[in-house]
Amino acid sequence: MKLKRKIAAGVAALLTVGLLTSCTGGGDTDTNTEAIDSFPTKWEDEITIDVFDGLANYMGMQEGWFGKIVKDKFNMNLNIIAPNVAGGGDTLYNTRVSAGDLGDLIITDKGEKLDQLIEGGLVADSAAYYPAMENTGRFDAAVEKLNEEKDGTYAFPTSVSSLLPTEPSEGIDSTFGPFLRWDLYAELGYPEIDTLEDLLPILKQMQDLEPTAPNGQKVYALSLFKDWDGNFMNNAKQPITYYGYDEVQFALAKADGSDYEGILDDGGQYERVLNFFHEANELGLVDPESTTQNYDTLFSKMQNGQVLFTWWPWLGQSAYNTEENMAQGKGFMIAPLKDQEIFSYGAEAYGGKQVLAIGSQAEDPERIAAFIDWLYTAEGSLANSSQTMGAAGPQGLTWDMNSAGEPELTDFGKEVFLNGDATVPEEWGGGSYIDGVSTLNVSVVLPIETDPDTGFPYSYKLWDSYKELTANPLTDDWSAHMGGATTTMEYLENNDQLLVAPGASYTIPTDDSEIETLRNQVKAIIVQYSWQAVFAESDAKFDSLFAELQEKASGLGYDKVLEVDLATAKDQNKQREAVAEEFAE
Amino acid sequence: MVIATSVTATVADQIEERTEGGRRDKRRHEKQAQGRRSYRMFLCIVPFLVLVFLFSYFPLYGWIYALFDYKPALGLGGSEFVGLQWFELLVSSPTQLAQIGQVLLNTLAISFLGIATSVLPLAFAIFLNEVKTPWFRNAVQTLTTLPNFISWVLVYMIAFSLFSSSGLVNNVLADFGLITAPIKFLDSDQNVWITMTLWSIWKGLGWGAIIYLAAISGIDPALHESARMDGAGRFQTMWYITLPQLMPTYLVLLLLSVANLLNNGMEQYFVFQNAFNKESIQVLDLYVYNIGMTGNSLSMATAIGMLKSIISVVLLFTVNGIAKRVRGESIV
Repeated sequence: MKLKRKIAAGVAALLTVGLLTSCTGGGDTDTNTEAIDSFPTKWEDEITIDVFDGLANYMGMQEGWFGKIVKDKFNMNLNIIAPNVAGGGDTLYNTRVSAGDLGDLIITDKGEKLDQLIEGGLVADSAAYYPAMENTGRFDAAVEKLNEEKDGTYAFPTSVSSLLPTEPSEGIDSTFGPFLRWDLYAELGYPEIDTLEDLLPILKQMQDLEPTAPNGQKVYALSLFKDWDGNFMNNAKQPITYYGYDEVQFALAKADGSDYEGILDDGGQYERVLNFFHEANELGLVDPESTTQNYDTLFSKMQNGQVLFTWWPWLGQSAYNTEENMAQGKGFMIAPLKDQEIFSYGAEAYGGKQVLAIGSQAEDPERIAAFIDWLYTAEGSLANSSQTMGAAGPQGLTWDMNSAGEPELTDFGKEVFLNGDATVPEEWGGGSYIDGVSTLNVSVVLPIETDPDTGFPYSYKLWDSYKELTANPLTDDWSAHMGGATTTMEYLENNDQLLVAPGASYTIPTDDSEIETLRNQVKAIIVQYSWQAVFAESDAKFDSLFAELQEKASGLGYDKVLEVDLATAKDQNKQREAVAEEFAE
Repeated sequence: MVIATSVTATVADQIEERTEGGRRDKRRHEKQAQGRRSYRMFLCIVPFLVLVFLFSYFPLYGWIYALFDYKPALGLGGSEFVGLQWFELLVSSPTQLAQIGQVLLNTLAISFLGIATSVLPLAFAIFLNEVKTPWFRNAVQTLTTLPNFISWVLVYMIAFSLFSSSGLVNNVLADFGLITAPIKFLDSDQNVWITMTLWSIWKGLGWGAIIYLAAISGIDPALHESARMDGAGRFQTMWYITLPQLMPTYLVLLLLSVANLLNNGMEQYFVFQNAFNKESIQVLDLYVYNIGMTGNSLSMATAIGMLKSIISVVLLFTVNGIAKRVRGESIV
C-alpha cells in the first residue's frame, strides 16, 4: 500500500511539474552569460536550427548554394518554418509560442510581437554576443534604437543601410507604380494617361490587341489574388499608393503628412480603387479566376503573358521581362499617370519592420549570433538578398570584378539574372540557382547599400556594366519616350512624381485587447465585402454593397478603431519629421 | 450465590458475546469481500471515468481563458484578467448580435438539412439490399463508401477542378456555347446550404448506409419468407417488413444527430469558405475558428465557444422536456 501511495505521489508530482512547465513557456536558459568578443572560426558539431520566419514563402530545409555556404561557414543547416506556407493567420505562431519554443532563429515583427516574445521569455538576450558581432556593430545606432528601453539586446534590425532617411530605399524601380505591357501600349501609340480611371480604356484596347497568350489561354488586363489580404483587400491598396498614400492599419496617410483618411471614407481612395476594379470587371478586364487563385498562380500567369498590368515592378518584370521577351521589345514598364505621386519608402534610418532574434531555447545561441552577424557582412548581404530584383549573389559565381576594377556579371550570372535560372556548378552546391537562393526572404542590409569592399552597390542592377548589358529594344524604346531616363526612379525623380516618406523605423503601438478584437472582426468584414463589391453585377449593387460594408463595419466598431489608427498615423508622421530633421543636420 | 450467578451471567454473556461477535465477524467478512469486489469492479470503470474526466470535464478548465485577455506568448499567468469584457463585447452592438444570429441560423439550417436528408442512407441501404448480383452490390457499396475516407481538403480540390470558373463544368458548358461567362458555382452566395448538404451526402451516403445494411442482415429471414408466401411483392416486403424493422435503428441515429445539432464540424465549411459565400457558410464551429485562429482573438473565441455549450444545454433540456411529456420518460 505504501509503495502504491509513493508511486501515486510520484506520478502526481511529475504531472504537476509537467503541467506547470508547459504553462510557463520559456525560461532562463542563458547558460553562457559571459560576454565574448570574437566568434570561433570553426564549428565542430553539425547542427540544424529551426528558423521561424514570418516572411518565408518556403518551408523545409534550406538547400542549394545558399544552404551550402551556411553549412561550410557554420556547419549548420537551416530548417525554415514558414507560417505563410503552413496556412493563413497566426495559427502556427500561436501554437509554437504556446509550446514555449518558437524557433532557434526568429524573424518576426518588432513592436507588439517582439515585446510579447521578450516578456514571455521566448527570446534570448544576446547582449553577451553583441561585442563579437562586429559587422552588426556597423549599424549600432539601429541596434541601440531597436533595443531601447529593454534590459538587454534581444533583436537585430533588417533593411539597414547608411542612406539618409529622406532618400528612397528603392534602387531602380519604385516599390509601387502602374506597370503595364509596354509593347502593347506602344502599339496603341503611347496614349497619355491623365489619371487612374483613364487606364481602363487603354487596358481594354491592349486586351483586344492580344486576346490570347502564346499558351492559348485567355489574356486579362488585371488578375487579382487574395493571399495577402489583411486589414483590407491587399490588391486594392496598391493603386492608392500612386497618389502618395500608404496604409496605417485602417487609416491612409499621405507620405508628407498632408492628408489622412479612413479606409472606408465616402469617396475615399479605397472606394475609388474598388470602383476602378469594379469598372474593369464590367469591361471584362478582370480575370474571373481572381477570386480563387493565389499569388503563385498569378505569377505563372504573368510568366505566360496572360496578364497585362501589375502594380509592382517586382511582379511583372521578374516574371515576364526575360532576355528573350525584352529582345523582342516585350515587357513590363511603368506608364506614368500624369497626376501620380508615387509613394516611396525612405531608407529606414533604424531598420525595417522585421527583426532577427535568437530563441531562448536555442541549443547553440553563439553560433546563431555568428550567423546573424554574417548576414550583415558584404558576403552575407550579397548571398542572402539574392532573390529576384535583389543583390548580386556570391562573388565568383554570379559576378566578379573585371579588368577595369568594376563588378560585372559572369556568364553564369547573366544566365541566372537575364534568363531566369541556371544550374549551379557542383563545387557551389549544384542544383538550380533559383531553388538555392536564401529562403529567409528578408534583406538584412538593403541591396542598394554600397559594398565596402568594392565600392559598388550590392544590387547588380545599379552597376553600369549591367545597364550596358541589358540595353535592349524594350528599355531603349521606354527610355526614348521617358525623356531619356534610364530607370523608373530616375524618371520619377526627374518629373517630381515621387513622394518619399522619411524612414523613421516607426513601430505601430500595441492595440489594447478590445481594439484588437474589434479590428479583427472589422478586417474580416472589409475583406469580404471588398471582394463582393469588385465583382458586383451592377453599379447599383456596388454602391449598395459598399454602403452595407460601411454600416456593418461601423456596427462592429470600425470608428473606434479608426480613431486609434488616425492617431497612430499622425504619430508616425511626427517621427518622420523628427528623423528627417535629425539626419538633415 | 450472588457471586456464582454473577459468574454464570458473565460466562453466559461472554458466550453470547462470542457468538454475536462471530456473526458480526462473518458479516464483516462478507462486507469486506463485497467491498473488495465492488472495489475491483470500480477499478474496471476507472479508466473510462478518467477518460471522461480528461476529455469532457478537464477542458472546461479552458473556459477560464474567456475571462482573460490571453496572449500565447505571455501565457495565462502573464495575460490580463478582463472579467466579462468579451461577453459584453458579444452583445455590445446590434451588428454583432446580427452576425451571431446569422451564424446560428446557418448552423441550424445546415444541421436540419442534414437531418432531413438522413433518410437517404436508409433508403439507399434498403434498395441496395434488393440488388441480387453480389459483385455489382459490392462494387456500388465500395464506391459509395470510399468518399468517406477522403479528406475535405481533397473533396474541395475535386470540387475546384470541376466547378471553378476555369473548371471542367464551365469549360464544357462554354465549349457547347451554352454560357458566355463562367458560372460561379463556388464563389457565390446562392444555395450554399443546399450545395454544402449535397457535398456531405456525396461524402457520407455509403458510410451511413453501412449500419442499416448491418441491421437488415439481422432481420429474421422468416419474416420476408412468410410475407412472400402471403403474396407480398418486392416493394411490399421492403415497405412492410424491412422498413419497420429498421425504424428503431433509424430513430436512435436520428436522436444522436439531434444531439449534435450545433456540432456540424468546421473542416467542410473551412475549405469551401470565401468572401462570396462567407455570410451563409459560416457555421458556429467555423465562426469560432475564424475569430480565434484567423482573427487571433483566442479569448473571444472561447467566449463564443461557451455560448455553444450553453445553447446545447438549453436544447438538451428542451428535448428532454418534450420527451417527458410525449413518452412519459426522459433521458436526464
